[in-house]
Amino acid sequence: MEKIFKKVSGKIGFEYLYVLPALAYMLFFVGYPIVSNFILSFHEVSVLTLNSPDKEFIGISNYITLFKDAVLLRSIWNTVLYTVLCILFQFVIGFALALFFNKHFCTSKSVRGFLMIPLMIPITVTALIFKFMFSSNVGIINQLLQTLNLIDAPVEWLIQPGTAMFALIFTNIWIGIPFNMILISTGLTTIPVQLYESADIDGANSFERFLYITLPMLKPAIQSVLILGFIYTFKVFDLVYVMTNGGPVDTTQMLSTYSYKLSFSLFKYSHGAAVANILFVILFAVSLLYLKYAPIGEENSK
Amino acid sequence: MSMKKNLIYSVIFVLILFAAAGCSKTDGQKDGIKNVTIWYYWETEKHQKTLNKIISDFNESQTQIVVKAEYIPFAEFKKQLSIGTSAAKLPDIVIIDNPDHASYSAMGIFADITEKMKDWTDLNQYFEGPLNSCKLDGKLYGIPFGSNCLALYYNEDMMKAANASVPQSWDELRAVSKKLTKGSVKGLGFSSLPNEEGTFNFLTWVWSTGTSAFGINNPEGIKSLAYVSDLVKDGSVPKEAINWTQGDVMHQFISGNLAMMINGPWQIPTMRQEAPKLNWNVALIPKDKQYASDLGGENFGVVNGQNVDASLEFIKFACEPDRIKTYINDFGYIASRKDVAETQFAEDDKIMKLFAEEMQYALPRGPHAKWPEISNAISLAFNEVMTGVSSPADAAKKAQKTIDSIIK
Repeated sequence: MEKIFKKVSGKIGFEYLYVLPALAYMLFFVGYPIVSNFILSFHEVSVLTLNSPDKEFIGISNYITLFKDAVLLRSIWNTVLYTVLCILFQFVIGFALALFFNKHFCTSKSVRGFLMIPLMIPITVTALIFKFMFSSNVGIINQLLQTLNLIDAPVEWLIQPGTAMFALIFTNIWIGIPFNMILISTGLTTIPVQLYESADIDGANSFERFLYITLPMLKPAIQSVLILGFIYTFKVFDLVYVMTNGGPVDTTQMLSTYSYKLSFSLFKYSHGAAVANILFVILFAVSLLYLKYAPIGEENSK
Repeated sequence: MSMKKNLIYSVIFVLILFAAAGCSKTDGQKDGIKNVTIWYYWETEKHQKTLNKIISDFNESQTQIVVKAEYIPFAEFKKQLSIGTSAAKLPDIVIIDNPDHASYSAMGIFADITEKMKDWTDLNQYFEGPLNSCKLDGKLYGIPFGSNCLALYYNEDMMKAANASVPQSWDELRAVSKKLTKGSVKGLGFSSLPNEEGTFNFLTWVWSTGTSAFGINNPEGIKSLAYVSDLVKDGSVPKEAINWTQGDVMHQFISGNLAMMINGPWQIPTMRQEAPKLNWNVALIPKDKQYASDLGGENFGVVNGQNVDASLEFIKFACEPDRIKTYINDFGYIASRKDVAETQFAEDDKIMKLFAEEMQYALPRGPHAKWPEISNAISLAFNEVMTGVSSPADAAKKAQKTIDSIIK
């Protein structure tokens, strides 16, 4: 029986059948929305035309209109700034913590466990808590800073254009540290102890051991952390939606929140789709990078 | 053997996939009974109970139509309607915020009921403002549910303590707000969100100068922006207001953080319940050139579909003058019908009488199919001056550019 199967499968590519369910799923639930969104962005679809059968094809003019619009450029800049700053701090702090807890002192495991909590709280809950903490009159952050005499008057964190962005980035760094820490920690456990021992014998100091053993051995883990982190951070929505909703005056508008606003509060569906596509294209490019590096990484780590 | 097993699993998986796609639908109509679904967004329990009472009365009054209501939160409401439109999954009646009515009529969600309601003589009884918000290009797409407007609330004790009198003009309002601002208490508050709720409040300032919502970049429009900006600069209006809903503003007021606020009558039942000892009163919103307020309230919109006639039966039932009298006060609304509004409030109900008086000065927003975009430009301009991002003149110029590109 098995032989027959093997013969048949050898001839007509039977193994493709196994991929079929996943393929069908992907085409229907991932492929279709993406294609449909691109089609939407090339048509004129607003309140007036949503229900009419023939929607005017207008090529890329939605994109042209959007790029002339200061809010789109600002959302792109905001998203990039937010992502870069978040990743930078999350990564550095997460890395440092991972190294620290890798020292295997008596409470290292349990404390590391506690540090995972930010990752487990739903983001909307975190966002609400930080919104209260950053509140200018009753927020604990202002009270703390005032008690320490660092500021004279309460800072209106979420109401001022400059500080609102800072508050968002600060919150997201707090959320993202454990993710970075845990992945780096896992990477650290794969480095053979013998390497450090032989480096010791050769007289390498701790900085050299870090630079020439830890970093190169962690390269695949670092790549994964950075690229996955980039993707998660770049498509931020819930945090911004709850904490500032893109305000004040669009100064914390991200690509995702701007797309939402265009589609669901201004009813400019094709513009919303176009913004979502810009977000998608950027993320797609980054994902390709990930696919390019990730398999090599896996082989290396083994 | 394992390959065979794998094959079986794959086939099962594919079957499940198809089965899942094939499910749903089919909650058919039995025995000629028509099911009518209503979507609404009132979050207050009293509002919900009152609506359900109207519905159960209707369901008991006849045997052909069964009405049921579904609650959708306000923030989700427009989104659900838009998604429902593209997925062809809409309710039969939508109780909708009146400035949005025109947009959804233009979208084709609502049925043109001009012909069907032609013989309904009650239509003559409706106030012009609310009825116009149901119309687009002269056609009727709904029936007003009830109306409200904004007025000035003030804390009588604080007013007395500061030895101030109720302001009537903008200058007086600015001076009194400053006088009432002490420590953590701010003189005046109104919802300033960058959305429809904010626009609802901002337009009272715009209209009071005599200009329209479509003409911001003129001396009057700039004046209204500058006035609000000055109130914030004085410290009389807290900057946090840009994050406050009208409900938040009301709670700041009853907890004594605001000496005055701009708000609507639907807050009154909650205020009396949560702060029964608070001494407050209402007055007309102080004026620049003329008194102005904003017409709020909801309309019944009839969704274009199978159940237009059944839906209209319910709406006619709910809009009978004697029936409106039984529920409109529980909503804290003012009836949209003249014959009901005239006798709606008891002689000694000074507060609601004031709202009825303010109603004369209330203007409707729009109606314009792209009102949400215009509204966004207006609320953004006010947010810009309140946060100090732009000067009133620059904000007005920018808003006007957006508005002009929409109404061209």
